[in-house]
Amino acid sequence: MVIDFLQITVDGLLDGGAYAIVGLGLSLTFGGLRRLNLAYGATAMLAAYLGAWLHGQMQAPVWLVALAVVACAIVIGWYVERLCFAGTRDEVAPSRGAPIAGVDGREVVALASSFAIWMQLEQVAVNLLPRHLNPFPSLAASGEWALGPLMVRPDRLLVALLAAGLVFALAMWLERSRTGLAWRATADQRTAAHLSGMPVARQQTWAFAVACALSGVAAFAVLSIDGQVTPMFGMWVLLKGLVAAMLGGLGSVRGVLWGGLLLGVVEAHAQSLFGASGREFSTYALLFLVLVVPWRRGERGALFGGLRA
Amino acid sequence: MSELGGLISAHAVGLASDMAIMSMLALSAYLMLLVGRVSFGQQAFFGLGAYAAGVMSVMFQAPLALALAGGAACGALCSWLLALPTLRLSGLHYAVATLAFGEMARIALGGWHWQRPGPDGPVGPAGIEGFRDIRWLLENDVSPGEYLGLTLLVLVAVLALLMRLERLRLGVGLRMIGQDDMLAAAQGIACDRLRLLTAAMAGGLAGLGGGLYAHRTTYIEPAVFDPMLGVHAVGYALLGGLGTAFGPLLGVMLDLGLLDASRLFPGWRMVIFGGLVALFLRWRPRGLLDETLVHHLSHTFHTRSPFSNRQ
Repeated sequence: MVIDFLQITVDGLLDGGAYAIVGLGLSLTFGGLRRLNLAYGATAMLAAYLGAWLHGQMQAPVWLVALAVVACAIVIGWYVERLCFAGTRDEVAPSRGAPIAGVDGREVVALASSFAIWMQLEQVAVNLLPRHLNPFPSLAASGEWALGPLMVRPDRLLVALLAAGLVFALAMWLERSRTGLAWRATADQRTAAHLSGMPVARQQTWAFAVACALSGVAAFAVLSIDGQVTPMFGMWVLLKGLVAAMLGGLGSVRGVLWGGLLLGVVEAHAQSLFGASGREFSTYALLFLVLVVPWRRGERGALFGGLRA
Repeated sequence: MSELGGLISAHAVGLASDMAIMSMLALSAYLMLLVGRVSFGQQAFFGLGAYAAGVMSVMFQAPLALALAGGAACGALCSWLLALPTLRLSGLHYAVATLAFGEMARIALGGWHWQRPGPDGPVGPAGIEGFRDIRWLLENDVSPGEYLGLTLLVLVAVLALLMRLERLRLGVGLRMIGQDDMLAAAQGIACDRLRLLTAAMAGGLAGLGGGLYAHRTTYIEPAVFDPMLGVHAVGYALLGGLGTAFGPLLGVMLDLGLLDASRLFPGWRMVIFGGLVALFLRWRPRGLLDETLVHHLSHTFHTRSPFSNRQ
């Protein structure tokens, strides 16, 4: 009984690693731009489809597919940024903690246009490979490792470790490096950063590109375990990433890891108790509760953004 | 009606009904946008209204008008209940919270089994299988053409109400909140109360549309009410314009009427439509019929407005 509980928790934690790696780019985009990029999942999906196409039609080796997925994610991300977020970059940001609705009407527009691009990219991907299941280079391990009485799949453990590594490396870099400081300054107060001589627009483009590259890494890591990609992948990336990033506080890099792990554990237990639809329901219920319950009334402003390690 | 039915093909009637029903949902999203809220959850009230109306007409043999009113009331109540805890959220967090609520409602409808014996087997919501045999129209010999007339009548009534609303102090207050809620509050506008009222109205509108939808298709299932539906409604309102209640209708006509019906670009429709919307919003963030254009138009048509007479 206790063993079952622990086994479910471990499975949830491993799932949570995948959610964290998916949410990292989303959180970084929000931290830098204060915009939710709804086309994030579709970007990862189209890049993954291009990778699957290279794998299926060109018999490309695995390393080339991995490189191609990341490169495509960056290029597609650049297109998304030009179309949806370029107009919002140049504006003076509202001061930290200011109510976003009303003051910052462009947020609505960025949401809507990135949604339209989501639909567009998804359709392009489906036109490229119309079948429902498309083979993706598989790196799945066959065996399981026994840790005492618990079973752990090594490939999924690797993804979780990769997520933790990426999160801590990015957080470290944001905290320690000069460029990281500049990114945080820009995210915090665009006007002040501009007046201090920082190239604000260029930094935000870079932050967006890094976020998209992370989405490509995440897509490759997650899909290489499944060995296939379906049209549901874009929605999955956006949703799980969004919940993980929201749980950790949007814009917080280390928060994504904890958010992802929490989501994974809650989902795993909900599934064992209430079945598949219970798992799905728990995702949304968790998201809703996190938004509605005033957890940290004192530092509510922290929920609103700025980029934090 | 038979001559008319002969002239207009069944396909056109179906398309027009779809457009009219979708317009209700788009108007519901438009109302929320007026007070500065992006809601990705209006499809939930559409679905809840559809289920409520279906349950009333199938399981309690209620007449159509009562069933539709029940659907609208159900949508309004649920929307008001959702608005209470989400009142203090910022724009982005509100959008995500409504999305989460919409999905919770969809999954909950998927788990709802409540059947009772009918004339040909059990009737009622059957979880993920959906809710079959909402046959009020067939039982009462209402042709699709007549039902289209009824739907259009309801839509015109809703439009007239909305146009009237915009001329009242209430409508002006809604727009003020949408532009800047802090400033509106400083002017003595009860922002919270108006936002709750707007949410209830928008939910009621979506529920009414859902009731009409349920009786048109005779079959509803939770999968229909997925976020794509609600997000399309927001897209129609944003594309058509936030200046007037005709904006969302224009959005519906452009997408459903022009792109979907013409089948010009099979498979590439979403690529073109999505790109157009994004490009469009880049330069015209409040849609085709935005406030400025509506203002200019109304000046062109009303040359003898009270302002032009004043010397």
